[in-house]
Amino acid sequence: MKKELPLLLGFFATIGWYLEFFFAGTFFENWKMFFTTGFRSVAIVTLLVGVVNVLKVNYSRIKYNNDRWFSVYQMLIIIVMIVFALLRGTSPGTPFDAMFTFGFVPLDATVFSLLAFYVASASYRSFKIKSVESAFLLIAAILIMLSKMPLGEAMWSKIPVIGEWIMDGPTSAGKRAILFGAFLGGLTMMIRIAFGLERSHLTE
Amino acid sequence: MEKFINILKKLDRRWIFLMIFLSCIIPFWIPSLFDQEFSTTKETQRVYDIVDGLKENDAVFLDWAFDPTLQAELLPMAEQFLKQCFDKKIRVFIYYPFISAISLGENMLESIKKEEKYSYIENGVDFIHLGYLPIGVDMMMFSMYSDFKSTFGKEGKIFRGIKTFNDIKYLMAFAGSTYPESYILLQRRFGFKMGAGVTAVTGPDFVPYLQTGQLDGMLFGLKGAAEYENLRISKGAEKKLNHRANAGMASLTLSHLVMFLFIGLGNLIYFYDRKHKKN
Repeated sequence: MKKELPLLLGFFATIGWYLEFFFAGTFFENWKMFFTTGFRSVAIVTLLVGVVNVLKVNYSRIKYNNDRWFSVYQMLIIIVMIVFALLRGTSPGTPFDAMFTFGFVPLDATVFSLLAFYVASASYRSFKIKSVESAFLLIAAILIMLSKMPLGEAMWSKIPVIGEWIMDGPTSAGKRAILFGAFLGGLTMMIRIAFGLERSHLTE
Repeated sequence: MEKFINILKKLDRRWIFLMIFLSCIIPFWIPSLFDQEFSTTKETQRVYDIVDGLKENDAVFLDWAFDPTLQAELLPMAEQFLKQCFDKKIRVFIYYPFISAISLGENMLESIKKEEKYSYIENGVDFIHLGYLPIGVDMMMFSMYSDFKSTFGKEGKIFRGIKTFNDIKYLMAFAGSTYPESYILLQRRFGFKMGAGVTAVTGPDFVPYLQTGQLDGMLFGLKGAAEYENLRISKGAEKKLNHRANAGMASLTLSHLVMFLFIGLGNLIYFYDRKHKKN
C-alpha cells in the first residue's frame, strides 16, 4: 500500500489534469482544483520547512563549527527581518522595507552583475574561431550584440535588420525544434508517471 | 609581436575586470559619449500601441516576476508601462510571483507617486498590489477565471466591474526567465491577450511565440526599455523623469566594445600560436 497509493494518486492527478485541457467543464475543473488545492497546502508547508531547515542547519554550525560567523550573520538577518515584519509590517517606509532597499537590493544586484565580469573573462579565453561552426557562432554573436546597441545602427542602418533576421530565422528555428523536443519529452514523462513506469519521484 | 602576445597570454583576469568596470562606470559621467539615436522595433511599438489603444477605466494585469537582480533591465520597462497606464487612466493589477519582488514593486509605485503628474494615484483605486500566492500560474488562472477578486483576498474600488479575468484587457509579464511561458501555455485554454518584457538573455526564447502571435508585443532587454522610454518621450513625457534605460545605453555600448576588444585579442593569440606552431 505504501507504493500503490502514491501511484494511484499520481495516475488520477495526471490523467485528470491532462484531460481538463481538452474537456473543459465543471467535472474536470473541480478535479484539477482538488489537486491544485493540495499542491497549495504543500507549498505553504514547504515554505515553513525551508525556514526551519535554514535555522536548524545554521544553529548546528554555530554550535559545532569554528567557521560560525556567516551562520550567526544569516540567523540574525532572518530573525531581525521576521521581527520587523511582525512588528511594523512590510510596506514602504518601515524598517523591514529599509533593510530590503538598502541591504537586499544592492547585494542581490551586485551578485548578479558579477556575471558581466566573468563573461568578459571567459570570452577572452575561450571564444575562439577554431572551426567554421565557431566562426559562424562568433559572427552571429557580434551581429546580435551590435544590433542591441545604438552604435550598431549608427555604424550601418542594416545591422538591426540583420540582427532581427538572425533572431527570427535561424535562432527561432533552433528554439522551436528544442521546444518541440522538450514538450514531447514532457508528454512522454507524463504518460510514464501516470502508468507507474517512472517511479524515481517515489524513492526516498 | 611575440612580446606583446606573451603579455596578453599572461594577462591577469583582474585587468579584464577593471576594464569592464570602467566601461560600465565612465558613461554615467559622460552620457554623451555615444550617439543615442536608434529606431524602435515593431515589438516595442506594439506594446505601446496596445496600451495606447485601451480606454479609460480599462484594466491590465501586470505580472512582476523579477527581483533586484534584474532591475537594471526590467525596472525601466515596468516603470514606463505603469506610467503609460496611469496616463491613460487604466487600472493596473500587480501580481508578484516571487516574494523578493514585492518591495521592489511597492517602492517603484511610491517613486512614481512622488512625481507631480502621478501624485493622485492611489493604491486600491488606480493600482493594487495583489501580493504573492504560493501557487502555480495555472491554478491562479483557473481561480481568476472563476472569481478574480477572491483569488487574492484584497479589497478596493479598483475591483469595480472586474468579475473574472475576462474583464482584463491585457496581461503584461516582466521576467528574466522563461516564466511567462507558463501564461503562454494557458493562453490557448483561456484566450487572453498578453505581452512580455524580458531581459536580452531570455529574449530569444520568446521570439517563436511572437511569430505565432501568442505574444502580442514584447520589450526586449535594455534597448527595448529605452525604445519604450523614447516612444513615451516623443508623445510628451518629460525626458528628465523618464530616462532610466537611456542612461544605461552608453554604458551598455562601451562594455560591449570592451568585450569585442577582448574577444579580438583572444583570437589574435590563438591565430598567432597556430601559425607559429605550424612553422
